[in-house]
Amino acid sequence: MTALQNLSDDLAAVVASVGPSLVAIHARRRIPASGLLWRPDIVVTNHHVIQREDGITVTLADGTSVGASLVGRDPTTDIAVLRLERPATQPVIRPAAGARVGQIVLALGMPGTAVTAALGVISAAGGEWRTWAGGRIDQYLRVDVAVYDGFSGGALTNASGEVIGMNSSGLSRASAMTIPLATVTRVAEQLLKTGRVARGYIGVGLQAVRLPTGVAAQLTPPQDVGLMVVSLDEGAPASAAGIQLGDTIVSFDGRSVTDPGEMLGMLSGERVGTTAPVTLVRAGQVTTTTLTIGERPRASRR
Amino acid sequence: MTPFTSTLPVDADLSGLSDLVRGWTVALTGREGEGKGSGVIWHPDGLLVSNAHVVGESRRMRVTFGDGSEGEARVLARDDQRDIAILQADSGGHPDMPVGNPDALRAGSIVLALGHPWGVPHALSLGVVHAIARDRRGRPRHIAADVRLAPGNSGGPLVDATGRVVGINAMIVGGLGVAIPVNVVSRVIQHAGAQGLLPYKVSWAA
Repeated sequence: MTALQNLSDDLAAVVASVGPSLVAIHARRRIPASGLLWRPDIVVTNHHVIQREDGITVTLADGTSVGASLVGRDPTTDIAVLRLERPATQPVIRPAAGARVGQIVLALGMPGTAVTAALGVISAAGGEWRTWAGGRIDQYLRVDVAVYDGFSGGALTNASGEVIGMNSSGLSRASAMTIPLATVTRVAEQLLKTGRVARGYIGVGLQAVRLPTGVAAQLTPPQDVGLMVVSLDEGAPASAAGIQLGDTIVSFDGRSVTDPGEMLGMLSGERVGTTAPVTLVRAGQVTTTTLTIGERPRASRR
Repeated sequence: MTPFTSTLPVDADLSGLSDLVRGWTVALTGREGEGKGSGVIWHPDGLLVSNAHVVGESRRMRVTFGDGSEGEARVLARDDQRDIAILQADSGGHPDMPVGNPDALRAGSIVLALGHPWGVPHALSLGVVHAIARDRRGRPRHIAADVRLAPGNSGGPLVDATGRVVGINAMIVGGLGVAIPVNVVSRVIQHAGAQGLLPYKVSWAA
């Protein structure tokens, strides 16, 4: 046996061992998407492939079809959880310890009745990042793999058959991304517990603005950009704390802020109900107030 | 500059296979330059297999062999439905092409494609089996492979990790390479033989 034959057999064995964890999700027109059997009666998939909430069916790896209902969805991390009408036999998912750039990976999908495979490598592995919708993803994982039908909601495995995460074509226009298993676990468990993922909320619209030099010098450390309040939700935590339109926030929770995305990042679900000091500039004067972080009202679905 | 030589066993296997497969992959060109594609040497006496859509209406095609030598081939039979064409080269004494077993392929099995995409000679693509479509009797009907193909790959071989031909690359569907498995090719050859279209008896594996 040559090394290439061994590799070929190993990769086919990975598909055979992880394949039974895959399901096909019928919740949109035309081509079904993929999902992962998470528990005997629970399936995780991508949020963006669930285009209808009624009449969802799931095809299991053995070819049988089961009805499913939506437990919850988190558009910010592109994760959705479904509950099967009757439990299936669930194979063990072996989690990968990590992912390294250059590692050989397989993207498994099930866009119908058969498990499909595509070969590639991890092209970038970084730290925690936020999606364009503000969701926290534990690790940045970009994969160099061709995106075929059924890629979304499918599994990314290493050559040993350990699952690295769940694939999504909905998080980046530029390339295929994988949501690490840690994020899938965290979000799925929260969706199972409460049916939604809580987000912190203070009720302001912010715009980065340059601070006058006189004001910049008053701040420690000095900072020349702040976030001006350009809209204010009535009765929201910010207005309850006395924040007004035109105020310019320069620090939040003891950290200077210069980018609206940074603020969004600091408003994670764990912060709901806690207080945070806010330093702001009003009429050239630096003042500090304290607000209680609320929970973002349930948004209308995208 | 010292040429870089990889010591990785997989690299050595791949370059070895590439050289091997090159020996029985040919480039086909129509008389007026039309119908560019690839083909395989199915039998050392010069029996060639390609796609029907590569051959088109041509009766004769120009052949460029793996060693760079050139010749001509006569079209013996064409199955448009299965997209297979059978040709006879004017010269014999070619390398013997090993035929593999498409039934042994699984999703994830490594496959290689050799051909002449966009006229680039002997370009190698590496990938894995994506899925296998089967007929009602469970025999492979199409092999969908996660390999990058382009026009000019048509008619060329899809090879497994042992270096045996498992299919003839025929189409690109949704980015996937789709090959006609050798069991289907064998049936077409068998049929042509039964009709007396072949100049000699060709045995078929698989």
